Amino acid sequence: MHERNGLAIIGGSLLGAIALLAGLPPGARAHGVSVQSRTTNAVEIQAVYDSGKPMENAQVQVYAPDDPSTPYFVGQTDNRGRFVFAPDQAGDWEISVRQAGHGKIVVIPVESGGAIAETFTNDAGLTPLQRGVMAGAVTWGCVGTALYFRRGKV
Amino acid sequence: MHIPDGILPAQVCVGGYAIAGGVTWYVLRRIRQVSNPTEEIPKAAMLAAAFFIGSSINIPVPPVSIHLVLNGPLGVVLGWYAWPAILIGLFLQAVLIGHGGLTTLGVNAVMMGIPALIGFQVFKLRHQVGKGWSMTQSVGVFAFLAGAIALGLAALIFFGLIVFTIPAELNVLEERSALTALMIAHIPLMFIEGIFTLMLALFLLRVKPNLLDNPG
Repeated sequence: MHERNGLAIIGGSLLGAIALLAGLPPGARAHGVSVQSRTTNAVEIQAVYDSGKPMENAQVQVYAPDDPSTPYFVGQTDNRGRFVFAPDQAGDWEISVRQAGHGKIVVIPVESGGAIAETFTNDAGLTPLQRGVMAGAVTWGCVGTALYFRRGKV
Repeated sequence: MHIPDGILPAQVCVGGYAIAGGVTWYVLRRIRQVSNPTEEIPKAAMLAAAFFIGSSINIPVPPVSIHLVLNGPLGVVLGWYAWPAILIGLFLQAVLIGHGGLTTLGVNAVMMGIPALIGFQVFKLRHQVGKGWSMTQSVGVFAFLAGAIALGLAALIFFGLIVFTIPAELNVLEERSALTALMIAHIPLMFIEGIFTLMLALFLLRVKPNLLDNPG
């Protein structure tokens, strides 16, 4: 499964190809190896905690549109919480990012050719202002309830 | 500490709801037996708000970042009311700020609420065990214990739930070591929450001691 991931990355870069060669067992190096490359479209995801901290080394599983039960790519995010994969078919790709019981599943629609569908927008999450307003509203709701009952007692 | 949607298998989520339902029934019955809900609800509402906000306060404990849970203080100050307060707090967190999730609401309530009720029982032990001590001493010591034990138990339940349900397609060792790092980070949090509970209890003891006498 990991190899598949490695292959996906060499598609775009020479560095990947070197990594593949280095990864081969010594015995195999004596035989002729040919490495081919092509340019491909890749999807990059970035996972961050809601505290703003990137999810470093989180486990990523990518499920192809035609098989939602077996992961197609498996890997880990880098130290900035990023992971790259090259989808090879159109459809909804499901990506699960998880670390220590925390995580998220996102679905990314991919068009033929590997580009992310234009209709897709990233979930931006809540801005600190939204959070503040909500927290304030809830707090005030609770305080209001408290005041209401206090008044009833007098 | 909140478990989001999509992490646990469906059976565990359903089980969580079943246990939470049973506990809710029992707690509401106890509440009706021992107190006048109209008088206690304001206090419960205030602490539900504190619980709601608490999880947004992040504490960096390298390499991870954790947040306050405050289930112990709720148990100490609210007694049986800690359960409904936590349930409502968790629901609002899931809906408003995406902390936790609706499918895991039951599991999260069990994980934080039952330790809160245990914290309440620990705090009540001050009447028996701390008999010969001064009021400040017995309240302080048992508030600290209640806060630390409630948080510790919640962390243990979290650890157990996650570690026994790691899906086969994950790198189990990797997930376990990440989980262990997170659990170790909760040891200092036990002290932080214990001390927070202690300060809150001593403050209430000074300004409004009857708030600490939850019938039970």
